Amino acid sequence: MSATTAPVAINTFREAVRDRVLYNLIFFALMMIGAAIIVGQISIGIERLVIINLGLSAISIFGLVMAVFIGVGLVSKEIEKRTLYSLLAKPIRRWEFLVGKYAGLLLTLVVNTSFMTIALAAALFYVGRPFVRSDSSILVAIYFILLELALVTALALFFSCFSSPTLSTLFTLGIYITGVFASDMRDVGELTGNPSLNAVTRVIYYLVPNFHNFNAIAAAGHGESIPLSLVGQNTLYAVLYVTLLLLAASAVFSKRNLK
Amino acid sequence: MRPASQTRAVGIAIVGVSLLFAAIRFLQMQIDAKTRTVEQQKEELLLRSPSAVKRMSLGYNALLADIYWTRAVQYYGNRVGTPDATFELLWPLLDIATTLDPKLVIAYRFGAIFLSEPGPAGAGRSDLAIELVKRGIAENPDQWNLNSDLGFLYYWRLQDFQSSAAAYLEGSKNPKAPSWLKMMAARVAEKGGSLETSAMIWSELRNSTQDPIVRERATQMLRGLKAQEDEMHLDDLADQYKKRSAHYPASTGELRDAGLINGIPVDPDGYPYVFGPDGKSRLNPQSTIVIPKELRTPLSPSN
Repeated sequence: MSATTAPVAINTFREAVRDRVLYNLIFFALMMIGAAIIVGQISIGIERLVIINLGLSAISIFGLVMAVFIGVGLVSKEIEKRTLYSLLAKPIRRWEFLVGKYAGLLLTLVVNTSFMTIALAAALFYVGRPFVRSDSSILVAIYFILLELALVTALALFFSCFSSPTLSTLFTLGIYITGVFASDMRDVGELTGNPSLNAVTRVIYYLVPNFHNFNAIAAAGHGESIPLSLVGQNTLYAVLYVTLLLLAASAVFSKRNLK
Repeated sequence: MRPASQTRAVGIAIVGVSLLFAAIRFLQMQIDAKTRTVEQQKEELLLRSPSAVKRMSLGYNALLADIYWTRAVQYYGNRVGTPDATFELLWPLLDIATTLDPKLVIAYRFGAIFLSEPGPAGAGRSDLAIELVKRGIAENPDQWNLNSDLGFLYYWRLQDFQSSAAAYLEGSKNPKAPSWLKMMAARVAEKGGSLETSAMIWSELRNSTQDPIVRERATQMLRGLKAQEDEMHLDDLADQYKKRSAHYPASTGELRDAGLINGIPVDPDGYPYVFGPDGKSRLNPQSTIVIPKELRTPLSPSN
């Protein structure tokens, strides 16, 4: 990270902390404690599984909410407060500002996820099962969630460069849901037997980010090993998509009339 | 406001709030009494299509599977043992849970027990239990326990010893499977329906399970098997006694006095067996041993 983007990133992170964004950790910790105590009494044989599934799902949902709702305000908030103008008056290019903002929110999400991971580990320890080698798949699942959040943040930032926060939220969530259903859409196209529709659904399938790629929650719950090649492929997929989105966001933001 | 009046106002507020809450509680109880039937109707599953639920889970299918499995356990737990209880939602709940998470082995294993147990202990649907376990095997081919469960269901619920032996044999092919599975396959194929084989199956189930409920159930069944074996032996002795004395024994004491047995045989609860006027031995009325229906018909001591 360059000397110009780092301060923007750090300030974005500080602002998130100041806005009490990390308070969700308290809720997460309480939820984990509650689940660890209650589930064992109301179900059979899935105490540990529920802790893992609930923990990973909560990490994903909390992260998504943060990524979308903070992400869409990254640019608009600066314009609204008029702090962007004083910032851009300094020797910082627009794309550097965007990358700094993106990195700052990503840092917030990484810190948030790390604390939630510690709480999840504590809950697992509480239900009384020693950590085994296959538990490493939980860490891989969390890494995949972070990749997913990195992508959603980039999407939110991209839309916030040319749209209002409300519309940006709708666009981001819309693309997210489309991405979750991407493979279903492709299958529907194939099932219809209509070549044109099939072509359209295939284009959509490859165009929208396929968020299903990053879902390893069930595998982690059952201690299934996740191939290292998949980790590499998913990382590359996310990096390429984020780069694409940040480039597009920079292009749009650079041409935006801020007067 | 003066301090005295301020204290009074606080007092009135506390009393007022308490009264309001009391009134709310009373009202809620009244509403609950009237809407109990509505609550019962709520048990309807809004979505019965497992694939639709999976699609709507937005990727959080593993967590949703846990929720559906817990619902299935609660649903079963609320009905088990209740006379005339029906379990019509049990299969849809298990179907959805296992579709959402096909690796949820516990749902196949316990779900099969819930489904196959005859009423009022279960839904009495061995066909669905077998379907569920077969689906579990297809999704989790490395889980030899599921083959063992399938063998058990065929043996115990359907008395289909050939299919049972095949299921045990299939499970024994798993490199992780214990050696007794292969022995069981051979035993069921050779002597399916014998008390000895049944005892072996329940004994292995008791030894292999980690769940206290299943272990307790297996222990009960083993006690029932022992009692039935004793009863069959006593019935034979009663026939011999009749040939000698021209009447059936009134008690096991008469068999002992006739020199047919050495002591007074007791059931696993410690109570002596009794004889009916038809010469058939029975459990002592004080005994807690239960011989389930499955044990009564197809089994023989040395089939």
